[in-house]
Amino acid sequence: MENIAELKRVTKTYGGKTAVDDVSFVIPRGCVTAVLGPNGAGKTTTLSMMLGLREPSQGTVTLFGLSPKEAEVRRRIGAMLQEVSVIDGLKVHEVMAMIRSYYPKPLKLSEMADLAGFAPEELNKRASKLSGGQKRRLGFALAMAGDPDLLFFDEPTVGLDSMSRRAFWQQAQALARKGKTILFSTHYLQEAEDAADRILLFNKGKIAADGTPDEIVSRLTSRSVSFIADMDARLASSDMAVQLRAVPGVKDLREQDGRWIVTAEDTDTVLAAIFRHGIPARDIRTGQGRLEDAFELMLSEEGRGEAVS
Amino acid sequence: MTRMLFMQCKVEMLRIVRNPYYVFWSLLMPIVFYFIFTKIVNTGVDNAQAWHAHYLMSMTTFSVMGSSIMTVGIRMVQEQTLGWSVYMRITPLPGSVYFLSKMFGQTVMHLFSIIVIFTSGFLINGVRMSFAQWVGSGLWILVASIPFLALGTMFGSMKRVDTASGVSNVAYMLMAILGGMWMPIDSLPSVLQTIGKWLPSYNYGSGVWAIAAGDAPGLRPMLILAGYLLLFMVLSIYIRKKQEAV
Repeated sequence: MENIAELKRVTKTYGGKTAVDDVSFVIPRGCVTAVLGPNGAGKTTTLSMMLGLREPSQGTVTLFGLSPKEAEVRRRIGAMLQEVSVIDGLKVHEVMAMIRSYYPKPLKLSEMADLAGFAPEELNKRASKLSGGQKRRLGFALAMAGDPDLLFFDEPTVGLDSMSRRAFWQQAQALARKGKTILFSTHYLQEAEDAADRILLFNKGKIAADGTPDEIVSRLTSRSVSFIADMDARLASSDMAVQLRAVPGVKDLREQDGRWIVTAEDTDTVLAAIFRHGIPARDIRTGQGRLEDAFELMLSEEGRGEAVS
Repeated sequence: MTRMLFMQCKVEMLRIVRNPYYVFWSLLMPIVFYFIFTKIVNTGVDNAQAWHAHYLMSMTTFSVMGSSIMTVGIRMVQEQTLGWSVYMRITPLPGSVYFLSKMFGQTVMHLFSIIVIFTSGFLINGVRMSFAQWVGSGLWILVASIPFLALGTMFGSMKRVDTASGVSNVAYMLMAILGGMWMPIDSLPSVLQTIGKWLPSYNYGSGVWAIAAGDAPGLRPMLILAGYLLLFMVLSIYIRKKQEAV
């Protein structure tokens, strides 16, 4: 598969602070990648370097095998950036016509209007008079003006209501089906989980995890086994606790609402131990934590100074 | 490329015309001033005909100098703070085309201002000059405004709109007064006259005052303006390079 973007050992420092620390990754064609992380994790800095707006302090960034500053690259990318407002003094259709004129094979004005969902009266409005949500939709149409192969969305849904958010991701998914490569940053976990094929989890300027949403979940989350134990004279619950805690990989054991919950790296060994010790367990369930929990866990562990691969 | 340049120039002109400040500062103010100082206030000059032509040139240079300094600079800061100039950097539009079309759009607007103010001078006071004088004056005002465009670009590198508009306003007014655009420079105290004669505004005016009086602009204003152009360009490039280093 052709690589659309490649970062090789990229580091960015400003004013003695390291915003991005030795990051490498490759984006293949047609992939929807989420750059996920808390504020200040280095997401926007990474995107800025990929867009050629900032120079890496070390390492190289290439898009389509070229420097992001090449005109050839700029004709093939589109972006929605944070904190970009609309140009003043122009009507919506004039802004669209202006941006279209920069590209060799632009979308038709009517196609751009459809992407933004604008009726003729909105096209004739001054761009500065649009509402926040409408400005965002205009930004999306402008990003699409050149019919780009690679799209960047920097926190595209911040400040949108849930309906606009859903509409945005539906459009993004339609683009992905047409073979567009999409890279977006977000600090909404749900969005990364739902919209992306791949998550690059950023924390403190490094990639803390890289994989499909499922892989990230299984790598970072603990699994659990829960059951109801019918205790009898043969086995006191304190003995059971001792037995289960001794199983390799078990992190926690607690009783909650009449169920025993065992948190462990591998649920199979826990099950084996339950049967080996003849624990009178019934209604056994295995479960997996959500990405949301994994994310919180990772951040809190980072906070305690423990490394997470 | 031509399509891009054409579109960009069109867009820049639309944006200038739609800006209400342009109409007020660049057209209305100079014409009202012209009316006041040639019709209402009795300036007691001997040769009214010459004074009317002279002051028409003062007001036209005042207008064009103002929009060169103010419009370009403030617009650039606005585009910076709105994130718009960052957005332009990721489009295939070359920075040079972007800048050139700004300057071109500005120059077309200046031509328009010149025609409007010259016409109002003709209508208000019946100012009469030869065809060559009209055209020569217009050309001088257009071409010699380039150092002020460079100054505007330099102010355009400021971070905040308030600072840029404050600084450029003060620079504009000081240069207009000390350069003899409001009142002839002879009416200023001699110290200020000495300073004024080295300012770009005085040299901008003196070239066209000479043309209106039937003389050639002379080498001195040309050299001084060229020097200022070089200075403003070097400073402006230096500041931008320093900002981009981040």
